[in-house]
Amino acid sequence: MFEDPRILWFIPGLPLLASVVTAFLGPRLLRDKSHWPCVLAVIASCALAIGVFASVSSGFQGLHTSYTWFQTGDVDIGVSLRVDGLTAVMLVTVTFIGSWIAIYSIGYMHGDPGYPRYFAEISLFVFAMTGLVLADNFVLLYAFWEGVGLCSYLLVGYYFAKPSAAAAARKAFLVTRLGDVGLLIGILLIYTALGPSLDYESVMPRGQHASPGVLCAVCLLLFTGAVGKSAQFPLHVWLPDAMEGPSPVSALIHAATMVTAGVYLVARCTPLFGFSPSAQLVVACIGGFTAFLAALIALTQTDLKRVLAYSTISQLGYMFLALGSGTSHEYLAGIAVAAAIFHLFTHAFFKALLFLAAGSVMHAMGGVIDMRRIGGLRKVMPTTHWTFLCGAGALSGFPIIFSGFWSKDEILAVAFKAGQPGSFANSIYILLFLLGLVTAGLTAFYTFRAYFLTFWGPERVPPEAGHHAHESPPVMLVPLMVLAAGAVFAGILLGPTGIFEHFLEVHWMQAAFPRLLPATEHHGNLPLMVASSLFALGGIGLAWWLYVRRPALAREMAQALPGAYELSKNKFYLDEIFAALVVRPLAGLAHFLRVFDQYIVDSFVDLTAHAPRWLGHLLRPVQNGLVQFYALLMVLGLAGFLLSVLMR
Amino acid sequence: MSPLTLHDYLAVGAILFGLGMVGFLARRNLIIMFLSAEMMLQGVALNLTAFARYRGNLQGQAFVLFLLTVAACEAAIALALILMLFRRNRSLDVSLWQELREDDQPPNLDEEPLPPAPEPEPLPQLTPAGHEPVHAEPSHEEASHV
Repeated sequence: MFEDPRILWFIPGLPLLASVVTAFLGPRLLRDKSHWPCVLAVIASCALAIGVFASVSSGFQGLHTSYTWFQTGDVDIGVSLRVDGLTAVMLVTVTFIGSWIAIYSIGYMHGDPGYPRYFAEISLFVFAMTGLVLADNFVLLYAFWEGVGLCSYLLVGYYFAKPSAAAAARKAFLVTRLGDVGLLIGILLIYTALGPSLDYESVMPRGQHASPGVLCAVCLLLFTGAVGKSAQFPLHVWLPDAMEGPSPVSALIHAATMVTAGVYLVARCTPLFGFSPSAQLVVACIGGFTAFLAALIALTQTDLKRVLAYSTISQLGYMFLALGSGTSHEYLAGIAVAAAIFHLFTHAFFKALLFLAAGSVMHAMGGVIDMRRIGGLRKVMPTTHWTFLCGAGALSGFPIIFSGFWSKDEILAVAFKAGQPGSFANSIYILLFLLGLVTAGLTAFYTFRAYFLTFWGPERVPPEAGHHAHESPPVMLVPLMVLAAGAVFAGILLGPTGIFEHFLEVHWMQAAFPRLLPATEHHGNLPLMVASSLFALGGIGLAWWLYVRRPALAREMAQALPGAYELSKNKFYLDEIFAALVVRPLAGLAHFLRVFDQYIVDSFVDLTAHAPRWLGHLLRPVQNGLVQFYALLMVLGLAGFLLSVLMR
Repeated sequence: MSPLTLHDYLAVGAILFGLGMVGFLARRNLIIMFLSAEMMLQGVALNLTAFARYRGNLQGQAFVLFLLTVAACEAAIALALILMLFRRNRSLDVSLWQELREDDQPPNLDEEPLPPAPEPEPLPQLTPAGHEPVHAEPSHEEASHV
């Protein structure tokens, strides 16, 4: 379809143009029509991305360097974009989900005073993310990586007049910055250890010849960046607070543009990770543990969007579990990465859908999203209800029908295979597999707990909703329906048929890391599917039993286990622990340094300022306004000069 | 009587310069100070011509020509300035311009101020004859243009 790689520039270029246009013309000229540049540009870039995807599947591998950004020593950093199978998948995911979110926002943000600003920032976000997946070297990737961070800061803090939103934005920015520092050091280490160059093509093949220690350090540092961006333990604390932004922003951050960046980075660097089993083990452990921890926290949250936020953290944990399970010994890298990216793809659909549906609920309920105050909305908002149900089914991995089942099952299969006897650290992997299986049950439980609490039971509408709680307008419902269709069918179309894996393998993996691919095909594991189905169905059934049949029982259970309940409800006190261990010591240090600066450093600075003044004070009597005195001084000066000449 | 030597000229120049310098330092009348400065200048000019003569070239002479030109200009400016200063203070005493000192410096006051300037002696006038015509009182502005 496309032959010229220059077409790639339009994919990030159009949203950037839209962002600039909206930013400059929005407040004066476009006003209520400010969504047009953003929506059109993102849809156009989605169309281009689909075109590029089609071209990639017929063998097109584009690389285009527009100019050299900078040149230092013997390394050229070019502003260059490339596309291969992985990038094509990411592009389609990001722009497709982004388009529907942009359309949904027209209805959701209608009448907001910051309307143009919102759409300018959304376009910029899509620009940064598409640039990130298209970048051809680590420096450009890092630049876009920071761009994504900036946009998330702007959008999480969209209601910046609200102190909690401003704090959440600051938290999101600073916590992800912690990871970014690791990423930066990792990139520098790549330059010294695997360099001297930073573009993927020359760095990646050197991974297998590097010394294991250095390679492990590189991988772990890169993974630090991913941990921050993709909200893995212990840097996951920013994501639940990021709910302070408007709901479509949450959808965008959780599904398309932000948290997937970390997964993309690790997947992109598979040729490095694949040769460092210990780094992979760390990735898998962090992923599995995060998945489990977040699921535990999600069990007791009462804020619908917060439940969804923890489910995102948990699902991202699954993806990292898969990425970390692709050990080189078993030639699992191919299916592991494919499983992770497949889960990323399906997750993008159903998580965007769930957030948009939650936003629709919030829109109708006058901004109330606390599940203790709403309930029984399935009659009030029928379309939102069944689309949410599609998303919940997919998230909980309801067997066969929903997409989440297929992708999650592949991840569990990879973890199981990594735990086969005889392979590296197999006992840990088998433990992680079991953890994943339990988490699948927990996921199903908390997802349907949220679903039942919101849409079933007696109808409860908070007073903020006004007299007539109503279904959202069509501009919000159509995106919900489209994404619901994706959440349902994406899995069954792409999962069992193996199209997705095949596409990634042919158009990316075979060129990128042929040595990590197996000689034989892997096939699905039926007992495993049955087991994960049972866990999912068990979770859903338990949720139904506790929240529909016996609503009192849940409360009794919470009272019977006060310690566990409080632990989960307060997010294992992780925020408090971080506050005590990190924030408070740093604040103390900052306070000490402030005092030090104010009284010690500043006094030296003041000294240099006062010294000329004192000197001036000494010399000031000379300027007494008497002309004869000046003349006398001149004569004396002349006399002194002459004397010095004569005496020499 | 022996012919004049270089030393004689230089001595005259030095005396002129010294007188001018003493005059400049000792007197407070602006015009006298100015004249003293001119005298110093002439001392220097005399030195230059003497050296030029002694060395047998014209450089010193040329220098003096420039010096005279500059001195003429300077005289014009200096006199104009003195005129303006006089108009403001009605006095040529340079110590009245002490307020151009630094803000926090105390003024140098005369322990024995100058005696007041004597009234100008009235010019002899003819006795008016006949009836004196009515004429306007000369305004302050016009008077100050004297």
